[in-house]
Amino acid sequence: MRLAFEAPVEAFRRELAAWLRDNRPTPSEMKAEPALSTGHAPGWAKRWTRRMFDAGWLVPGWPPELGGRNAAPTEQLVYLEEMARAGVARTTNPQGLGIIAPSILDYGSPEQIASYAVPLLRGEITGCLGMSEPGAGSDLAGLTTRAVLDGDRFVINGQKVWTSGANHADFCFLFCRTDPDAPKHKGISVILVDMDTPGVNVRPLPDIVDPEYPELNEVFLSDVLVPAGNLVGTANSGWAMANGSLAHERGMVWVTSVIELENATKRLLGEAPGMLERLPIGERAEAATMLAGLFIDAQAVRCLGYRGFGNLLHGGSAPEQALMKLFSSEARQRLALVAAELQGAEAIQGDEKFGAILPLSTSDPSPWLDQYFRSFGLTISAGSSEIQRNIIAEKVLGLPRA
Amino acid sequence: MVGGPDAGLADLETDMDFELNQDQEELRDSARTFLAESCPPAVVRRSFEAGPGELDPRSSGLWQEMVRLDWPALTIPESFGGMGLGFVELTLVVEEAGRALAPSPFVATLTQFAPMVREAGASDQAGELLQTVAEGGSTGTLAVAEPSGRWEPESVTAIARPAGRGWLLAGRKSFVFDGTTADEIAVVARGEGTTGSDGLGVFVLSGPAVPARALRVADPTQPLAELDLDGLEVPRERVLIEPGDPRASRAIGRALQEATTAMAASSTGTCGAIFDTTLQYAKDREQYGRPIGSFQALKHRLVDMYLALERSRSLVYFAALTISEDDERRAMAASMAKAAAGECQRLIVKEGLQMHGGIGFTWEHDLHLYLKRAKSSDFLFGSSLAHRASVARLLGLAA
Repeated sequence: MRLAFEAPVEAFRRELAAWLRDNRPTPSEMKAEPALSTGHAPGWAKRWTRRMFDAGWLVPGWPPELGGRNAAPTEQLVYLEEMARAGVARTTNPQGLGIIAPSILDYGSPEQIASYAVPLLRGEITGCLGMSEPGAGSDLAGLTTRAVLDGDRFVINGQKVWTSGANHADFCFLFCRTDPDAPKHKGISVILVDMDTPGVNVRPLPDIVDPEYPELNEVFLSDVLVPAGNLVGTANSGWAMANGSLAHERGMVWVTSVIELENATKRLLGEAPGMLERLPIGERAEAATMLAGLFIDAQAVRCLGYRGFGNLLHGGSAPEQALMKLFSSEARQRLALVAAELQGAEAIQGDEKFGAILPLSTSDPSPWLDQYFRSFGLTISAGSSEIQRNIIAEKVLGLPRA
Repeated sequence: MVGGPDAGLADLETDMDFELNQDQEELRDSARTFLAESCPPAVVRRSFEAGPGELDPRSSGLWQEMVRLDWPALTIPESFGGMGLGFVELTLVVEEAGRALAPSPFVATLTQFAPMVREAGASDQAGELLQTVAEGGSTGTLAVAEPSGRWEPESVTAIARPAGRGWLLAGRKSFVFDGTTADEIAVVARGEGTTGSDGLGVFVLSGPAVPARALRVADPTQPLAELDLDGLEVPRERVLIEPGDPRASRAIGRALQEATTAMAASSTGTCGAIFDTTLQYAKDREQYGRPIGSFQALKHRLVDMYLALERSRSLVYFAALTISEDDERRAMAASMAKAAAGECQRLIVKEGLQMHGGIGFTWEHDLHLYLKRAKSSDFLFGSSLAHRASVARLLGLAA
């Protein structure tokens, strides 16, 4: 155990920092053309992703032809840290880069890799992830969107919901039922569907915080015709992909949530003296103790992540992604809540809005109450906190299924 | 007095390599194996059966085994005849001692007495005292708290007055580990008329010469005593650092950071044992024709216990690293670890007892031995409440 990594990693860190200094998009460039959703890549974002791809900084752990430089695990960790610190995301389409592209690379045909994965990595197109349905949320395997093979094409009918970025994405990584007679986990396939295919209709679902910039959508599919060659992997192998794809970059995605939590903690600690001054003396000690608790949480999340990473390097299992997701999202929610409470009257008056959530900005400048409501996006999506607890109970603690 | 965080202290961003090296893993595993064999609950129960102060932990087979394994020499510097291992290694062993509820002079001697002697004493003085510890020839403890039950050195009221060739002490100490049996006791007292962190000094008393009364405690595996210092004389060569020495406050603070982190490690070990037992019980115990651990009402709470445990353990290792590397955040890290350990025991003791149902409420079942040790460990060297407040102070958020 030690408090820093070995020297070669530090050289890697410096190289990245220098490259970022010279190549990162400028704040004015980003502000002039904000990303409207996680399916939208403005011009600067397309150029930026391409620049990273060409320089081997997009996914450093991958080979150069896929936008990487065959970086070692510790280097990949350092990379994610530096990117989060710099306040620059690799893409405005994180589900495309983090989940869809790696899944196509793992399971897709050479044609799919050439026409979807690589263009996605080069910033030319964006993807959305069609998973949840009105009747299939936490119970994803219960999905009913149906794809029927008819000659050389699929006919797809059904409905998706909570589809992030579907209002701007170029294609959908769509989970559908291809064998209605098989047990529910065994009849699911993934099909790539271009969003401009006739029969695909997107209805945005404005959220409670930023209704003017919808991110979530309903996607209606009626008699959508898709070439049979767009089936990813083999038929009815979708469930393995759902588990595999969501586990991509496992062991490291937590770094970004850790640094986001730390950035929010820093912002709060900066505002805290003013908040405390405005409180009557009798309320200050409790408030200070609550703030200390949040600081302790942020440090604990980081230590927990690094401990898991240490195990990973040691040949052990990856950090428990579910544990990190649960802890960091709930800590983020507590932080926003305490901040809003300490802010008092100001918290409920804020009409200052910062426009679309910039996925590029890791230090969220929006009002604390907005952040509190928005934090439910973290505890509900990508497997709710309740589902995470089930996963940890069964997979980590070995408790029997209900 | 709200000032905002000190930039250095509030810095969260440090890379950490938490991987144990092979030696550390072997040390932890061998400690666990040894304690499982030599300190089963039957041995622990002897502490519960004896009255306060009736058992001398030095004469127990467990301590003699530890001496035979060179545990007293573990972190004593090599120049003083020790093995010279670092604080991370000590933390791993102490966590195991906490898991086994080991009643022994090990924790007080290695994590309280030895750090104070090393930090406060002159090198020849420290050498002499620590050499004897390393050889297993003496045990030690540390007397900071008083009947008020606070471990902040600022709250010390015991007085030291110059007298002849040495010092004359007055006042009372309390919650002193092994206070009726330790061979050597490092005592913190202050010069007359001083307050706060000024005027503190540290003195070494010979245990048998100090009138001590064993406290009746919930957890006899960590025996505590009250000491009467009135009229005790300390010759100059037994003064580790004199009241008025400007280095005293820092030295005492640093020793307390080690003792506090060790208590957090020990408490985390105890909580780990409670958690493992409870988890196993939830898998084994059947009601309504299935294991109670299959009910979501228990599952989710077990996950929260696991999370509290991992949170605490992570912060304990972080604190151990800051101490072992002498990082400037060691005071903050020690308080974070003790606060997290306290929060962890709060949840784990409550849920551990609740989930065991009636059987855990019986004297016969071993669970209560662990619950009492966890509760006692929260109070000792500062509760989670005290340490959260100290984190707030270090962040500049409270006076």
